[in-house]
Amino acid sequence: MTRALEVDSHDTATATTAAARTDESSIEDVFTYKELARLDEALTMSSRETGLRFTLYVGELRTPTRSHAEELHARSGAHPSDAVLIALSPGQRVVEVVTGAGAARRLPDRACALAVLSMTSSFGNGDIVGGIVNGLRQLSDQAGHPASLRH
Amino acid sequence: MNVAEALLVFAGIPLAIVVVLALLTLKPGANRRPRYKPGQAWDHAPLWFEPHPAHAPGGGHGGGETAAIGSSVYGERHGSDATATHAVSGGQSHGSSSTAHAAQPAGPLGGARGTW
Repeated sequence: MTRALEVDSHDTATATTAAARTDESSIEDVFTYKELARLDEALTMSSRETGLRFTLYVGELRTPTRSHAEELHARSGAHPSDAVLIALSPGQRVVEVVTGAGAARRLPDRACALAVLSMTSSFGNGDIVGGIVNGLRQLSDQAGHPASLRH
Repeated sequence: MNVAEALLVFAGIPLAIVVVLALLTLKPGANRRPRYKPGQAWDHAPLWFEPHPAHAPGGGHGGGETAAIGSSVYGERHGSDATATHAVSGGQSHGSSSTAHAAQPAGPLGGARGTW
């Protein structure tokens, strides 16, 4: 019985070169393309509707998680004052919402806490993407339209 | 109905149904990723998602202009790579990116935190 040659190379990293692309973890291992599309649409639409810049970080956070999330928020774009960062660490089971000074005027901490509550209840059921999408929806509903987009 | 027939009807048929149902529950899980369960370790590289920049200011709807929908996901980088990634994601010119992306103070920060 003949077998097809294995064309993927493995364990080819050296001291000076990176691992082969086939050894890198792909984005598809984390979320399916369908889930990515949902996340993408939720982020884009909530950012467009509100004029705020919503970004989402999914990964390990250094402890204390709050200060790491604030660090990430400061690097999240050209105008961190109008940025809202949702930092999510499923391994540590913690979610942090960080709003800049301008965004905090339209998204008070209470509204963020409510959105976080609905997110954590979804995360507790194992529904990461659904929780993020619902949280974004709540946050953008609360923030409303910016004055410049009102007719 | 003799003993063999009775066994076949009252033990064989239920057993066959149970086996079929068991196989049905096992089959679809074979090629699917394991779903995240709370408490599981998350050993993926950090990801940073960001919205698409609006092309026309204030032109979200109407006009029939469709903006490309694709996933704008960036792997979180560390060290010197971090500046490069966020210079791209911030949509800035390279000249100002080095100063702009050194952590800017964004005023008093608000927000919330939750655990599950």
